[in-house]
Amino acid sequence: MKRRSFIKTTSLASGLLFVPSFIQAFENTLSSKFGYKRLVIVQLSGGNDGLNTVVPYRDDIYFKSRPNLGLKPEADLHLTDDLRLHPSLLPLKDLYDNGYLTIVNNVGYPNPNRSHFRAMDIWQTASDSDSYYQNGWLGRYLDAEGEHPYNAIEISENLSLALKGKELSGIAVKNPEMLYRLSQDPFLKRISKNFNDAHLNEHNLGYLYKTMITAESSAKYIHETNKIQSSKATYPKTDFGNQLKLIASFINSRLKTKVFYASLDGFDTHVNQLKVHNRLLSNYADSISTFVNDLKSQGTFDDTLILTFSEFGRRVKQNSGRGTDHGSANNLFVIGKHLKKPGVYNQLASLSNLDDNGDIKYEIDFRAIYTTVLNRWLDADTSKILKGSFKPLDFL
Amino acid sequence: MDSKELKHLYWRSGFGINLQELNVLTNFSKKETVDKLITNSKPVVPLKIDVNSLKNLSFQEINRNEVLKRDFLKKSREKLKIFNLEWVYRMTNSTAMLRERMTLFWANHFVVEDHNIIHFQKYNNTLREYALGDFRAFVKAISKEASMIKYLDLKQNKKNSPNENFSRELMELFTLGVGNYTSYDIKEASKAFTGYSFEFNGKFKYDVRNHDDGFKHLFGRSGRYDGDDVIDIILDQKQCAEFICRKIYAYFVNKNIVQEYIDEMTSVFYPGYNIEELMRFIFMSDWFYNKENIGTKIKSPTELLIGIQKIIPIAYENPVELVKIQRLLGQPLLNPPNVSGWEGGKSWITSNTILLRLKTASLLLNNGLISVKEKGDFYDRYSEAYKKRNKGRFFKASVNWEDFDKNYQKASFEDIKNQLILTNLNLEVEQVVDNLNHASNRDSCIQIMSLPEYQMC
Repeated sequence: MKRRSFIKTTSLASGLLFVPSFIQAFENTLSSKFGYKRLVIVQLSGGNDGLNTVVPYRDDIYFKSRPNLGLKPEADLHLTDDLRLHPSLLPLKDLYDNGYLTIVNNVGYPNPNRSHFRAMDIWQTASDSDSYYQNGWLGRYLDAEGEHPYNAIEISENLSLALKGKELSGIAVKNPEMLYRLSQDPFLKRISKNFNDAHLNEHNLGYLYKTMITAESSAKYIHETNKIQSSKATYPKTDFGNQLKLIASFINSRLKTKVFYASLDGFDTHVNQLKVHNRLLSNYADSISTFVNDLKSQGTFDDTLILTFSEFGRRVKQNSGRGTDHGSANNLFVIGKHLKKPGVYNQLASLSNLDDNGDIKYEIDFRAIYTTVLNRWLDADTSKILKGSFKPLDFL
Repeated sequence: MDSKELKHLYWRSGFGINLQELNVLTNFSKKETVDKLITNSKPVVPLKIDVNSLKNLSFQEINRNEVLKRDFLKKSREKLKIFNLEWVYRMTNSTAMLRERMTLFWANHFVVEDHNIIHFQKYNNTLREYALGDFRAFVKAISKEASMIKYLDLKQNKKNSPNENFSRELMELFTLGVGNYTSYDIKEASKAFTGYSFEFNGKFKYDVRNHDDGFKHLFGRSGRYDGDDVIDIILDQKQCAEFICRKIYAYFVNKNIVQEYIDEMTSVFYPGYNIEELMRFIFMSDWFYNKENIGTKIKSPTELLIGIQKIIPIAYENPVELVKIQRLLGQPLLNPPNVSGWEGGKSWITSNTILLRLKTASLLLNNGLISVKEKGDFYDRYSEAYKKRNKGRFFKASVNWEDFDKNYQKASFEDIKNQLILTNLNLEVEQVVDNLNHASNRDSCIQIMSLPEYQMC
């Protein structure tokens, strides 16, 4: 928490805490910076097979490497002379045709790690492959620019490392009502209403009290602000669909939240990949396209950018179980209304020039993507958030 | 020892103290108490669950048969949950309190994650065996554990195609700390650790064909070193002893390091590397009992959970229940975030964990209900309404209140408060609890365990 808001919290803490003006006071000071452009991160966990997502449908090496898995999408999925979308992604074709989708190919980092946990940590913390950070890139964004936990919301029961900052972390919400009820426990409320401010100065205990107050006010804020019932839009009845539905409701209620985080699990397709992957991508595409329409209907798509990534791609060559093993560089989707370079941002790397593991070589460092988004979408100073400097790309 | 010092010692060397222990021990001197603490932890009793159904397989069998392999992993995952639960019970009930506390500490120092219960169980017991022993032998044993060989890619570290992962973490996280070695040292060390492998049951296997027998040059020395030689070379440096002392100080004493005390500790620890001796020195020192060290540490989720069930025994109906709450609180015991483990301290506290942490005792013990019945209230309308609204159970566990009732029969509200809280209570907050109805010791216990001050040890 910043010193400024800390002082405010302390002076307002006793008694006044649950008066709405407490929250009002903050909002006024923030409206200049917060509450307009929003970033939605979608994490595809398990390592999405990028080659079967954006398919090099005329590449002989692709088909030779994947005798059972090679796809030949129809013309209605056409992107460029070399690439077509996976059939399950048909709902995204509209976005593509309207210039709302940018596909960035060959995104990765030096010395890629092929363990799920480690690779995910690297993506979430924006670290080099041989260093370990205790906080995430969005958490550090909150440290630098945020004021409240609800400035970054993950739709989950647990908060991912990505949203953990040193001073300020985002908040994980799966069910806003439950969180609110938890925060309204009469015993805990008596404590937070009656404690002595002097306590806040104590190092660790003070931190506990402070966090308790911000957690309570965040839960209350989310509960009170999330008023707009999500429109008539029909989302897929999946966990991922529900996550996006809740995010849409938050966005359309104009919560002062800059970052939302959703995830879709199950992409670790080592065995009999085709069927599973079809289902996963359908769920993804149907949910995303409903989400975009839902935002459009409320006029909030204008200010929303959606970034989809996975911790790694998969090996070019299929394995003996009609699946694919862990790879490295991968493609990444950016969806929004203000893309400077919609379509396919860069060519897919050559499938004849792979690394020692038989994986696609990376061309664009994922932190250059983060830099672009932080700089040009969230207006943040990346030097406080990312270690090292990466040249922003031209998609924004 | 006075009761405050005792509580402090027992919270840091174990997981809290119950009322009888407190009453008995106040009659003993510091030396007697510390001696007893260490003597009680001499026996090494391995923690073992039944893994017989998984034992009689081999790598060849499961690698040939995908169905068998998946079945093995599935069973193993189930067993790991059971192991997690048994470990928590062990920490709660063991008389070898310090050994168990140290085992937990080392598990967050020599971090691994393993889906194979046979290997993980063996690893966990190696931590337990050496927890108070010779650190030098400890590091060597760890380097030969199947779980470690897998976790830090030692199996992929072969002559002509070295993998530096283990060597890097050995120096950075296990022994020397960042900045006390060069990338050249890592490269050379990794050659010495080539040929490390293991059998299906987790037994170390030295694969001579994969071992690089050539000369290695590191830290100004050279020879045809093997892994153990490299560990000796590293531990010959006083820096290693200091690095470990710092980590132990931060965990057992205070995250704010006082260099003077670290120097004292290092001169005890180096060059013998006797962990028991080091711990005795800390617990006997005056500074361990300084005001700034008492009640100023934020409990880890594990400390919080065990501290509660040490006072009121809890039996989880299913290991999944325990894993669930560990996950929500941010410390699934068998799934550390990465090789550097949990950071601890303030990092446990986020807007997500804080409310749940404050409600943990009530959720485990009383389906989430914290009584706010005031003094003189005859009816407890809130409790009644709460019970009506929340008929389902949040956690499926059986709580042994009878045990608590028996032990705390004669205890007053003040007794319970003094026993459970180590810091000074916030005055206004204290008034809030003091004004509540104290007719039920059970309610009082939950109320006190729901205070922010109870989060500290």
